[in-house]
Amino acid sequence: MWKVGVDVGGTFTDLFAVNISTGEERTGKVLTTPEERSKGVLNAIANADLTPDEISLLVHGTTTATNALIERSFPDAAMITTEGFRDVLEIGRMHREHLYRPYQTKPAPLIRRRYRYTIDERTNAKGEVEKCVDAAQLEPIIASISEARIGSVAVCLINSYANPANERKVAEILSDALPNIRVTASADVKPVFREHTRFTLASIRATILPVMANYFERLQARLLEGGFSGNLMILKSNGGMMGVDQARLRVEELVESGPAGGVGYAAEIARTAGFPNIIHTDMGGTSFDASIIEDGQGLITREYELEFDMPVAVPMLDIRSIGAGGGSVGWVDSGGSLRVGPMSAGSVPGPACYGRGGIRPTITDANLVLGRISPDLSGKFKLDVPAARDAVETIATKLDLTIEQCAEGMIRIATEAMAQAVKLVLASRGRDPRDYAFASFGGAGPLHACAVAEALATPTVIVPRYSGVASAYGALRLAIKHDEEVFHYAPLTAEELDRVSVKLQSLGEAAVDALVAQGAKVEDLSVSFVMRMRYAGQTFEVDVVQDRGAIEDRDVQQLASSFHEAHKREFGVRSDDFPVEIVALAVTAEAPSPAGPLESEQNSQLAPSQQKGRKVWFGDWTEALVHDAAGAQIVSGPALIEDPHTSIVIPPGWAARFDSARNCILERA
Amino acid sequence: MMANPIDPITFEVLRNTFEHVCRRMTVILQKSSFSPILSENLDFSNAIYDPTLRLVGQTANCPVHLAAMHFSVQAVARKFGIETLRPGDVVILNDPYDGGTHINDVTLTMPVFYENELIGFAVSRGHWMDLGGGGPGGQGFGTHVAGEGLRLPPLKLYRDYQVDQDLLEILLRNTRTPHYVKGDLQAHMGALLAAEDELRATARKYGRATLIQGMGDMIGYTERIVRAEIENIPDGVYEGADYADSDGITDQKVWVRVKLTVAGSNLHVDFAGSDPQVAGAINSPFANTTAAVYTALQFFLAPDAPPNAGMFAPISLSLPDDCWLNARWPAPVVGCTTVTSGKVQSAIWQAVAKAIPSLAIAPTCADANWFVAAVRGPGNRIDVFSDIPAGGWGGTPYNDGLNVTLDPLGNCTNMPAEAAELLYPVRVEAFDLRQDSGGPGENRGGLGARFKFRFLNGGELSIETSRTIEGSPGVNGGGMSPVQLLVQEYQDGRREIIGGPRPDGTWRSPLLSSHKFGPGEAFEFLSTGGGGWGVAQTRAPERVRQDVIDGYVSHQAARRDYGVVLDPNTFELLHDQTSKLRNLA
Repeated sequence: MWKVGVDVGGTFTDLFAVNISTGEERTGKVLTTPEERSKGVLNAIANADLTPDEISLLVHGTTTATNALIERSFPDAAMITTEGFRDVLEIGRMHREHLYRPYQTKPAPLIRRRYRYTIDERTNAKGEVEKCVDAAQLEPIIASISEARIGSVAVCLINSYANPANERKVAEILSDALPNIRVTASADVKPVFREHTRFTLASIRATILPVMANYFERLQARLLEGGFSGNLMILKSNGGMMGVDQARLRVEELVESGPAGGVGYAAEIARTAGFPNIIHTDMGGTSFDASIIEDGQGLITREYELEFDMPVAVPMLDIRSIGAGGGSVGWVDSGGSLRVGPMSAGSVPGPACYGRGGIRPTITDANLVLGRISPDLSGKFKLDVPAARDAVETIATKLDLTIEQCAEGMIRIATEAMAQAVKLVLASRGRDPRDYAFASFGGAGPLHACAVAEALATPTVIVPRYSGVASAYGALRLAIKHDEEVFHYAPLTAEELDRVSVKLQSLGEAAVDALVAQGAKVEDLSVSFVMRMRYAGQTFEVDVVQDRGAIEDRDVQQLASSFHEAHKREFGVRSDDFPVEIVALAVTAEAPSPAGPLESEQNSQLAPSQQKGRKVWFGDWTEALVHDAAGAQIVSGPALIEDPHTSIVIPPGWAARFDSARNCILERA
Repeated sequence: MMANPIDPITFEVLRNTFEHVCRRMTVILQKSSFSPILSENLDFSNAIYDPTLRLVGQTANCPVHLAAMHFSVQAVARKFGIETLRPGDVVILNDPYDGGTHINDVTLTMPVFYENELIGFAVSRGHWMDLGGGGPGGQGFGTHVAGEGLRLPPLKLYRDYQVDQDLLEILLRNTRTPHYVKGDLQAHMGALLAAEDELRATARKYGRATLIQGMGDMIGYTERIVRAEIENIPDGVYEGADYADSDGITDQKVWVRVKLTVAGSNLHVDFAGSDPQVAGAINSPFANTTAAVYTALQFFLAPDAPPNAGMFAPISLSLPDDCWLNARWPAPVVGCTTVTSGKVQSAIWQAVAKAIPSLAIAPTCADANWFVAAVRGPGNRIDVFSDIPAGGWGGTPYNDGLNVTLDPLGNCTNMPAEAAELLYPVRVEAFDLRQDSGGPGENRGGLGARFKFRFLNGGELSIETSRTIEGSPGVNGGGMSPVQLLVQEYQDGRREIIGGPRPDGTWRSPLLSSHKFGPGEAFEFLSTGGGGWGVAQTRAPERVRQDVIDGYVSHQAARRDYGVVLDPNTFELLHDQTSKLRNLA
């Protein structure tokens, strides 16, 4: 049986598999099937010469949720809210993204105003119901929702975080009247206070629930057809994974599902390859992602915004993305300047060299023209060099450049854009790129890694062993993680701690049950307890990881002192002048990856190094040695190292070596 | 001596470091402060200055603090002399006539040293909820600045990082909200310490000389961008005007008249012809007027450049001696940041529209609509609750205006209803879009809001605003938005207009001072949208139809303003009636 990681990207679907008994490793790479992404997953399995019935564990990262949200390509959802609050999603927090831009607009609300309904009801901030839900008021709303064939409704009532009774009542009436629609009550997604934050999170869930349910259903049906009876796990935004039954419900945790695997792999390299601080980048066919690994951990943010003023109130990996990939299209603007992207040829029609009807030149075409990728790189289909040259020529003539000069110009422009994106991630946290190693993932990454690193003055580049299928490999490295949180507003006193302890106990049990249901063994679990605390009078909280024993011992001193330290760490100050209070309780349960440790294949027997010469363009046609990744040892530029999924370009002045795990380390010679 | 410019990568890192330092100060102040006007409304700004007192970087949640804080650092230097300052000194001030703007904006300045040499200043300015005076939140609307609260000249509040207990006691005893003071001070201090920490780390890494040179290079970089943009504006003289509805004492309009003179890469701003100083509390000290001028121009000159002293050099300013925009002691000034800044900005935008008409955008609501309410809580404790229910922005050449977005002078956020109800004895009953409140146009003005809350135990409310005589004007043939309205709702449901035009034909000034509300009575504010851009009758009927389906525009307004007739039930476009109406127009 096999353990398999699959990553569905914008252009390629990647796969990494390891055989449980022999340790044999296989990879697969096929074009993504945007009309029906689950098909690509099956194609990738076939591409690696596997069948679903041979797979005992399939871990899957998907960008389906994110794409649907960004493109607003979900069926219309509706919202029912308290009279007076119809426009919470649209007004947001009333500020603007760009301080001084006169023509700016704001992102469209996830739920259109015509489908936002209001009812007269009220719960106060203490959680007391002041006005009950009147079923009669819901009748015309139900009729309207039904007539508009809305399939998903978010119920978002004021103060429901303090008492969800009215919200649940509305949900119940709706479900009774319209049994086929999906109903999301905001406090049941997450009982956070501040209506805009909670309503937004509920709207995210409500809008993509149907999209993801369809997706998972089709995927499971296809797998089942192939005889799959293993465990299906889905990557989540916090850098962990969850079972598909959880994922189907907690769709708001899938926003960073796609890139999570790569970050997991980068974190592993940071821990094992001697580079604790890494800039993790991933360049595929469509986009370029960048994030930071420090001390072996991907940085997590709780302030992620899907778009401006659209907070996603769950812990997420902090990843920035720009539209630059192998499929990015080169074009000439009205002023006669050469531009690249942000539009991409994607997988359909794809780069011109794929021979699938693409005629516009892409970055992949440019690399092929310059000899930096081999026409039979993938081994599965041959790239069409004349088609690539023709495509580049269409713009080269407009610019009065040779085809090679034009191709090189396209790559330089894309390189600069990627360097800028990396600077943004680092500099927004005040980090200097020179203090980091630059890790390059994704099929198109290593082609440009040294050039981007030059632009950043980063001394070291790491191309991981499985760079071409990094997210798929990384998917198998992540832990199963489950978060639970409740609103619990109380002063930090010994008496209150009794109630806190009971609540944490039940949260912990719920989290453990959730993990066990996903296949984890109780003895492998670790559970951490977080109190969200503040000084009485503040309105924002600090997350304080607390010792379970101190809670049970009602050790107020110990708990308060942990808070003071956390406040000091985060804000630089602390004080004994103010009483301390608890606002929310949270639990995270974690179990190691169900894939277990991956036994690397024995590498002591390196394949004999294969080399051949090829003309590659570095400012001019230059004779470069092309090495086979399996056998290469130390390689000086100009040269290439090729494996089935990627090509490492070593420009003149750079040299590459391999570490014991066969990661390629590049440095300026 | 001209040093060689620093290498481009270090420049880029420093550019982002200066932004990052200010952003970190902002996060700390927001998340650890106690006054909701700081933590929820973000009515504050943080900045760093170089050792020669030039602005290097700033996060401006309130652009109107931009440039004004410059006067604060100068006041500190004037009072103490830079050479006497020591690590751990923090100077507090708020005097409108000595480094401040209005009393409530309190500024804390800390010199930053690295290895005993000055490397710059960290400055944190926040709106403190209440510093005493004749009305809650400083909104007494008297005729003397002494009525607006405790006036602080530059004073050393901290020495060697230790607070001066005597001064602290004075602060604690001169406010209606002593429970915020220590917590907010701690938050400001956290922000300043973070800046000190970051600047020192940068000096350690790159050396003091490189850091200071980087500060200067950054300023030069912004100045080059601003000058290049001014050169793009045709040389000439351009005029604009706007007015405040009243100063709260007399019911006279108070006018801003501005003349922009563009010559090469220099721009001169002259307020000759603006009204003299007024009796009521909307006078603007020089620092505040300066800040409003730079804020307004930044939209058209350098929207994306690092906001620093480089913006100031190409722009000069002159003001008449006796002018409400050049206030002299003892004129009252509490409304300067919210009412007056908006009018200065709107007048400048109207002048800019004449200079570069194709880039014009229609005026905004031009008011922050800032109110302060004293609310009675349990045990008769008085608390002070404040919010800024914004209006809309004008239509642009490219799109409809922004709905309910704080006016250009600020970028504060609203107070969430759930936060307000957790903290104060109020019930927030509405904050939604006000139908038909955008000026009609080919590109419509953004909508204003309906904001309503109930005093559960009674209290009083002060507010200063405008646009109750006329709404926001349109440009290029666009229409005007409706007027703003202030309403009191009594326990029996009866509603009375307490600011703006009343059904009986009279008009009430929209500047209210300590207006009383009984238990269970509600305050409702209808803000206005922005002006329209272009002729409304040329807006595509399908765009109007979509607006009606979503309720941004009513059936009646679609017919009246846009000449578009829809079936009242199915929203189907009635072509014949529509073309008939449009042909008449």
